[in-house]
Amino acid sequence: MTQANRLNSGGRIDRSTSFTFTYNGKKYQGYKGDTLASAMLANGIDVVARSFKYSRPRGIIAAGAEEPNAVLQLGASEATQVPNVRATQQELFDGLVSSSTNGWPSVDTDVMGVLGKIGGNMMPPGFYYKTFMFPESLWETYESMIRKAAGMGRAPRERDPDTYDTMNQHCDVMVVGAGPAGLVAALTAARGGARVIIADEQNEFGGSLLNSNEPLNGKPAVEWVQEVVAELSQHENVTLLPRSTVNGYHDHNFLTINERCTDHLGDIAPVKKVRQRMHRVRTKWVVLATGAHERPLVYANNDVPGCMISTAVSTYINRYGVVPGNDLVVMTTNDYGYQAALDWAAAGRNVVAIVDTRETSTGERAQQARELGLNIMLSAGVIEVQGSKRVTSVSVAPLNADGSQVVGSITKLSADTVATSGGWSPVIHLSCHTGCRPVWNESVVGFLPGPTVQKQLTAGGINGQYETATVLKEGLAAGQQALANIGLVAADVVLPEVKTLSLTPPMSLFHIPHIKPTSQAPKQFVDYQTDVTAAGIEIACREGFEAIEHVKRYTAMGFGTDQGKLGNINGMAVAAKALNKSIPETGTTIFRPNYTPVAFGAIIGRHCGALFEPKRFTAMHSWHVEQGALFEDVGQWKRPWYFPKAGESMQQTLNRECLAVRNAVGILDASTLGKIDIQGKDAREFLGRVYSNAWAKLAVGKCRYGLMCGEDGMVFDDGVTACLGENHFVMTTTTGGAAHVYEWLELYHQTEWPELEVYFNTVTDHWSTATITGPNSRKLLAELTDADVSNDNFHFMDWKQITVGGVPARVFRISFTGELSFEINVQANYGMAVWEQLIDAGEKYGLTPYGTETMHILRAEKGFIIAGQDTDGSVTPYDLGMGWCVSNQKPFSYIGKRGMSREDCVRDNRKQLVGLKTKDPKQVIPEGSAAILDPNAAMPIPIEGHVSSSYWSECLGHSVAMGFIKDGLNKMGDTVYYPLADGSMIEAEICSPIFYDPKGERQNV
Amino acid sequence: MSDQTQMTAAQSAATKAAVMNQVPGADIAGQSPLHHADFATLAEQGQKIGGIHLCEHKLLGHLTLRCNPNNPEQLAAVERVLGVALPLTPLTSVVKGEYSIRWMSPDEWLILVPGLATFDIESAFRDEMPGHYSLVNSSGGSTVLEISGDDVLSLLQKSVPVDLHITAFPVGKVVSTLFAKTTVTLRRLDEKRFELVIRRSFSDYVWLWIQDASLEYGLVIEV
Repeated sequence: MTQANRLNSGGRIDRSTSFTFTYNGKKYQGYKGDTLASAMLANGIDVVARSFKYSRPRGIIAAGAEEPNAVLQLGASEATQVPNVRATQQELFDGLVSSSTNGWPSVDTDVMGVLGKIGGNMMPPGFYYKTFMFPESLWETYESMIRKAAGMGRAPRERDPDTYDTMNQHCDVMVVGAGPAGLVAALTAARGGARVIIADEQNEFGGSLLNSNEPLNGKPAVEWVQEVVAELSQHENVTLLPRSTVNGYHDHNFLTINERCTDHLGDIAPVKKVRQRMHRVRTKWVVLATGAHERPLVYANNDVPGCMISTAVSTYINRYGVVPGNDLVVMTTNDYGYQAALDWAAAGRNVVAIVDTRETSTGERAQQARELGLNIMLSAGVIEVQGSKRVTSVSVAPLNADGSQVVGSITKLSADTVATSGGWSPVIHLSCHTGCRPVWNESVVGFLPGPTVQKQLTAGGINGQYETATVLKEGLAAGQQALANIGLVAADVVLPEVKTLSLTPPMSLFHIPHIKPTSQAPKQFVDYQTDVTAAGIEIACREGFEAIEHVKRYTAMGFGTDQGKLGNINGMAVAAKALNKSIPETGTTIFRPNYTPVAFGAIIGRHCGALFEPKRFTAMHSWHVEQGALFEDVGQWKRPWYFPKAGESMQQTLNRECLAVRNAVGILDASTLGKIDIQGKDAREFLGRVYSNAWAKLAVGKCRYGLMCGEDGMVFDDGVTACLGENHFVMTTTTGGAAHVYEWLELYHQTEWPELEVYFNTVTDHWSTATITGPNSRKLLAELTDADVSNDNFHFMDWKQITVGGVPARVFRISFTGELSFEINVQANYGMAVWEQLIDAGEKYGLTPYGTETMHILRAEKGFIIAGQDTDGSVTPYDLGMGWCVSNQKPFSYIGKRGMSREDCVRDNRKQLVGLKTKDPKQVIPEGSAAILDPNAAMPIPIEGHVSSSYWSECLGHSVAMGFIKDGLNKMGDTVYYPLADGSMIEAEICSPIFYDPKGERQNV
Repeated sequence: MSDQTQMTAAQSAATKAAVMNQVPGADIAGQSPLHHADFATLAEQGQKIGGIHLCEHKLLGHLTLRCNPNNPEQLAAVERVLGVALPLTPLTSVVKGEYSIRWMSPDEWLILVPGLATFDIESAFRDEMPGHYSLVNSSGGSTVLEISGDDVLSLLQKSVPVDLHITAFPVGKVVSTLFAKTTVTLRRLDEKRFELVIRRSFSDYVWLWIQDASLEYGLVIEV
């Protein structure tokens, strides 16, 4: 297949390496070194998209990040689909598959063409607000319609096969942009001994130097670039990041960079390689050398394929060896626009005319054009182009001195390409990210970075400097300033020699007038991606939107994925003209991260799949897995939920596990409970202040249950604390509450009571805990220890240091099931050894492993609360019927004491925790059910409370539930009703929450 | 309550804190937190060349000491027990024979010793240390990984937010920091060799993370 627009020589492409790529199902050829856009232009592909509102054919306008139209869908398979890829930034690789994202069935034969015209009329500026927000109920319908019409690409429906990751970087100087300014700045900083990172979005360093034929030191500029890159590569403290877009500049000189490591190699990254990498950079100083984007001019039908910005034309010719047409008309307001014509002519194609809006142009580029005999039309503008899928002709007309009016007759020229230059827009996006307001500069006709609080330096195009010699000097100055700022000695760099061309000042002109008023002229596009026209902005202003932010939102200008890189300044100029204000008076909107769209994968990095969230395991986890346990997430822990045997339902398993504990012995892995070692002479005093109950008299060798409240008097955690020595305790917390309790203790110690001599250490992971519980638990324990574990010697709520299965252990005789229980704690490296011995020895006693669900049932049978399930931050110990666990006799106050005495906490009719016994014993009230007193009451029925815990109790042969009822403790024996979603009603009697062994005899045996 | 500040070390040890030898006889083998990963087999059968080398120093004694860095008697006692002074400069460490001490916070140090020496050292501390302090055995709660190799910095850059440049993170420096979504205590042993003290319950996550993040460099397991 021929590449009709490809030159035979020149450019930075490798003509010996040919790549095949697919666009909209058709195969084409390009070369290594091409972007997708340059390869498409080489093949004469004019139409790359259909526009958002009007469905107009659109072509490639630019050659870089600012491209609004060539935003394509990539991917050879469903899993590798990538939306929002700018063809101008995507390097070509063999086998690349791309398609346009809007236009159906294709951009060339578009069935929406007619609809587009209707759609355009139906979608005046402000359609989001005027049309689609009302009625609100239809918004979803509108939205899907708009999305389909907009067609901005789609996410893959299958899992992305590639990996992404993140790298943290630190440096002294972060240089953004590796054009002439950035390279010199980086070289200067590197020679001065600074740690430097230099990043550039292009595949190779050089920036604008890659696109021009301007020599440095009398040699091709790229030779100088190669010398600088070679030296930078030699510096140990310099990191070079090509293909890396600095997408965000955040507070405290933190920058985020998206490196496309392998996007240029294929549809899927090579095996084991990372596709994209997010660099998170913390730097002392930033040098923004981001350059400038050329502004297109706004004229009638300026979106017809073939209309481009002039630098893009030069770039395609010089860098890619592609001339994107045959007959060129250039329209410019400045000297730089002439370069496209010079390059076009050098490529041997026809320059029809250079249309300069200024009255004179005596600069050297203009002189070169005159020497070549090119046709220069001064004081004129291209007011309109003709054509549908490609420019066929242009209308040129004389303009008055300020370019506001057409003042003569139209000349029609035959051309297929129009290159325009309205001057430059410095790339100030990153500086805007940190809140720096841009400032209009009249002489450079553009917004420059304003004052900043960041440690930010700028150099080159971003400062409105476009002559290479000046840009290089600014890079040197920025590098030296950065060195000085970090206290390093200034280094010198000899700048390459470059000829400075004389310039005629640019004209401040954005919107080319038409013979008709803007509202009646053919569409003059300002923002291509969102189809905002000059007429649309004028309507917005006429309708009273005066602030540029409002104009932006009303018209959607700058809302596209390109953030209006090409269009925003022109839009502001059009608005300023309509409002009869100056551009600085009109102001500008600013930019936010990210500079260009970033794949979600690059943001999430490796934190996905198995690594999405840490999973915490106990020392016995592999045993649980082997036994076929199902697991429950408790915080980050994986706790065994229940251990089903083959063929068992969940309820059958739970019934079996519960009966085993009540009648024989069960074993639970309780290692996940939080454990905090507390030492110091004031440990006991501290406990008294953070728990609601008393600790003064807890003897060495004893354990006690405690409730922990917030300042508001509401329970937030509970657990058993043991006195290990006079000044030594170990506290247990809930599994999920461990970290919070530990921080809570440290917080109060460090901020409120630093005078207390106490130290806290978390030992959750250090101890493995095997809880054996049930009537046979003592027999089992006795078998594995020489110690006397009889009831006479080892009392309920005692702990002992004994040896279990040959392993030194702390055994706590405490119970969460109401049965005789021993919690065996051993150093976790020996947890499995003890567990396995217990399992072996326990077989003859009917030892049954159980999980959290059975634990929940057994404790509910006993009316024991679970903090976080039966508490929700709104219940005091009294509300739980646990006033016995509050001591108001302590000499020092405790956290929550004052909160509990607030008026609202001591009033009548608070919700209180009670037991609930269903009238039909087989019915289990769903947890969360709301209680009502009168099932026949008129709507809305007052809610009296809710159910917090509810289970089937196989041991009791009926359901058990706990829940809150207003004034419940005084309503024992009353009936409450729980209406269910299906319309039925469960009737229950209010009772004590202790359903099983109310006298508590079983745990004392 | 008695005033512990006035108490001698002997009184303190005898009555105030519970100390126990937590290690059983040699007939019962301990299982490190990464026991299930079976590094021995991976070292034998896995790849031998790669940019990342990993080994585990398992079943060591981990002791967390909290005391007052301004109390010269306590500092002297530590030196008597360990034969080396506590590092008082933030983020530093000292090594003496098989003992190593990491500064963790202004009043906290992590001491690693041979596993079987743990109880003796704990006992010695209880004999020697006066005043208010705490010494906690956390040997079961963590393990130690050592990673090294040509690409070790890249791997760590993917994992921790701190600056690892040799000037910012010299040999011997210790930080406790975020590692992916968990925490580690990271110490530099050599230019391209680091020690990670990780928590037991998070060790599998760290192991998975290291495997994943080192894919492009190649991971060599050593014993």
